[in-house]
Amino acid sequence: MTTATMPRTARVGFSLDPALLIPLVGAGVLIYLAVLPLLMLFIGSFQAEVAPREFVYTLKNYQNAYASQYTYSTFVNSLIFASGSSGLTFLLGTTLAWLTERTDTPLRKIFVPLAVVPLILPGVLESIAWIFLLSPKFGYVNVFLMNIFGLQSPPFNVFSLPGMIWVHSVGQVPLAFLLMVAAFKSMDPSLEESAMMSGAGTWQTFKRITLRLLMPTAASVLLILFVRTLESFETPALIGIPARIYVYTSEIYLAFNEYPPDYGRGGALAVGLLLLSAVGVWLYTRSTKESKKFQTVTGKAFRPRQFELGRWRWAGLGFLLTYFVFVVLLPFLVLFWASFLPFFATPGWDSLSKLSIENYRYLGTFRPFWDAMQNSLILATMTATVAMILTSLVAWIVYKSRIRGAWILDFLAFVPITIPGIVMGMALILLYVAFPLPIYGTIWVLMIAYVTRYIPYGMRSASGSILQIHSELEEAASASGASWWETFKRVTLPLLRPGLVAGWIYIFIVSFREFSTSVLLATGESRVLSILLFTMFEQGQVTVVAAIGVLMIVTLLSIVAIFYKLTGRIGIQT
Amino acid sequence: MTFVCRFVSLSLAISLLGLTGAFGASVETLEVVHKKALKEGGTLNFYGTLAQVNAEKILPVFEKQFPGIKVNHVDATSDKLVARAVTEARGGKTLGDILQIPLENVTQAHDQGLLLETNLPEAADYPAGLKGAFWVSSDLQYFIAAWNTNLVKKGEEPKSYDDFLHPRWKGRLIAEPRDLEMLLAFAKYKFKSDEKAIDYWKKIAAQNVEFHKGHSQLAELLVAGQAAACLTCYSHHYPSRIKKGAPVNYMLSEGVASINGTAIFKNAPHPNTALLFARWVASLEGQKVMAQGGRNPAHPKVDPVDKTKTDITYFITASDLKEFPKYDKIWKEIFKLR
Repeated sequence: MTTATMPRTARVGFSLDPALLIPLVGAGVLIYLAVLPLLMLFIGSFQAEVAPREFVYTLKNYQNAYASQYTYSTFVNSLIFASGSSGLTFLLGTTLAWLTERTDTPLRKIFVPLAVVPLILPGVLESIAWIFLLSPKFGYVNVFLMNIFGLQSPPFNVFSLPGMIWVHSVGQVPLAFLLMVAAFKSMDPSLEESAMMSGAGTWQTFKRITLRLLMPTAASVLLILFVRTLESFETPALIGIPARIYVYTSEIYLAFNEYPPDYGRGGALAVGLLLLSAVGVWLYTRSTKESKKFQTVTGKAFRPRQFELGRWRWAGLGFLLTYFVFVVLLPFLVLFWASFLPFFATPGWDSLSKLSIENYRYLGTFRPFWDAMQNSLILATMTATVAMILTSLVAWIVYKSRIRGAWILDFLAFVPITIPGIVMGMALILLYVAFPLPIYGTIWVLMIAYVTRYIPYGMRSASGSILQIHSELEEAASASGASWWETFKRVTLPLLRPGLVAGWIYIFIVSFREFSTSVLLATGESRVLSILLFTMFEQGQVTVVAAIGVLMIVTLLSIVAIFYKLTGRIGIQT
Repeated sequence: MTFVCRFVSLSLAISLLGLTGAFGASVETLEVVHKKALKEGGTLNFYGTLAQVNAEKILPVFEKQFPGIKVNHVDATSDKLVARAVTEARGGKTLGDILQIPLENVTQAHDQGLLLETNLPEAADYPAGLKGAFWVSSDLQYFIAAWNTNLVKKGEEPKSYDDFLHPRWKGRLIAEPRDLEMLLAFAKYKFKSDEKAIDYWKKIAAQNVEFHKGHSQLAELLVAGQAAACLTCYSHHYPSRIKKGAPVNYMLSEGVASINGTAIFKNAPHPNTALLFARWVASLEGQKVMAQGGRNPAHPKVDPVDKTKTDITYFITASDLKEFPKYDKIWKEIFKLR
């Protein structure tokens, strides 16, 4: 009996045992990061200010938000924007994935890395580039087509709902592409082969077997694209607001940024968007679990069979080429070209004589640019580092520690994926403007926002790698007398490194280009590059904006290249 | 309270005057204020709509003249800046020192109790219409018409606003959706009749005006050829663009002028630094720097560097501000804006 009670007393004596303390701290950090801001937002959505800093509780905000004369148009616009964009993104992404993964289209392998390239183009720049290309009167594509075909009116107008759908979609295609490539790769070819053997042709097999097998994945990909479009703010800000086409995110932004600011209404709209997004994400996780029942992945070693397209191979190549020239390359080219112009002008021989490096020279001594560049670099590096450390600890606790209730951590780390960027920005303003910690208006509040938003991405790479590590290795270490920390540092962490690096690069990229949270939080000294682009674009310095964009892309590419060299692999995860 | 304070300080100043016999003995020089400002940490949080192209020529001059002071320029459109200040006040914080935006928005901030009532010695040089209890005009802006020279034929350039009623402008005009000042000024000073002004803008609405937010963007869209002419552009946006070779020109025969004001935040974190900037920018010297930076100075003795003043000016005064809601409503109805 005495021997049995001994260790128990000993454990009580070591109540600071990291194995117990760390999960608690982890939960505390996650609650602080993800739950507290949402709580503030929720409470704020029921408050009305009757006199300066005097609040009463009311349901009026919800009435203002959801029963105004604009409710209907905002709802319809959001619905059309999100469904149109998710549909188009899915169609383009799936076609690219199918052509490059499952057919014998010539040169298809070259296009696999190219399809991911647009990830490097920040959403703000994507929108700006397409404004240059598709503006009704001066957009290069319109001017070109009007000149060639002698058209009286421009064929495209980017300042419209279809324009918004197009611009947002082409930016999202890499995501759909990666998800669908994964789906195609993991498909068991035996079902298709059986169909072929029973005399079905390529098209029939594709229609009756491939498509049906893909249905569950397709549904979940469409859903996640729908949710992401609903949450996005780049296109609604740069194209929607000037065109006076408002969706939920722009309504929230305007509730905060127009006089008099209406936090109540903004909060009520934000809570609605949050719920929509949460339901979407919940359906998505459910449907991805469901899709496993379809057994497209088996234990057998197999390579998906390729469809032979015959003469249509060239049509496939034509599609790939057209897509890459017009959708991937053109936005980069137009930004590059515009960055050498003194002001935006339609293409012509006279603009050739105006080309100069003046915009770049100007940026050389332009202090706000260097401040913003420094902020963006510091933030991206720190966010990626903090998020990966935090999530590898959390993932280790969830999957390895065998602590009861560890799933709560897993759940908490997943919560931020439901928070739209603009909602996060709004919640953090409400939280930190009145918070004793003086970080409001500094880059620290941005770092908190970014880390919170990207915890789910970090968890994905960290847990993926942790699950691959067999406990035997850690058990061996602890049997040899290593402490918990030593085991983590000397065994677990080195084994995790490749996954962590991949996660780090991804979070670095998304933090560097982040816009929708920063737009509410970054000001003056804490301004980041994407916000500088937005402000200067609003101020009409569009060709300088193009030059900043080019430098931003070059910076991102070189950092990714350095990491690629250092680690030997690039890990873009979704 | 403030009235009592001002009364007491005024009587004190008068008695001091009597004692010393030297006018202005109670006024601190900018050097003295500078010394006090340095003790506050050397930062000025400047909430202002100055575009980067202007700010980079104006703010560094201030920093150079008063070494040790760094301007943290929080730049956004005026409604965003007021909204931000209100949000901060709601959380019990004041982060801004100086607010420099259109007078209409300065008044909004004042309505929220955010601004300090102060009497700057430099304000004495300004006429009554260009200063108030909590503001002094920093510069003026002229709403004018401009056009793209590639898209408007020689001889068809607009000579006055009445020319835009001609059918040749149909579908070729752009404007800013929030410029109700145009309606107000036309009603009160051009036509001196609400009815006539409303009739004019209704006819303009029938020309299918395209609206874009932000005056700088309007100018840029005009340069790029989005429209043939802009109805509510700012005159100071054009000289620099024309110098760069942009295909635009602008009309100075008639236009609407409105005031930008400088104000100091109540409970500003750096009150002396704020005072230093407010006094400097209102001074003859500061106003010359504003002119060099491409703005239309408000100081009666300083002229703009470029030709940006209109020949006939419909001047929106501080007393017109209370009528903004009325004309805003009509403006939105005419153009079906929300």
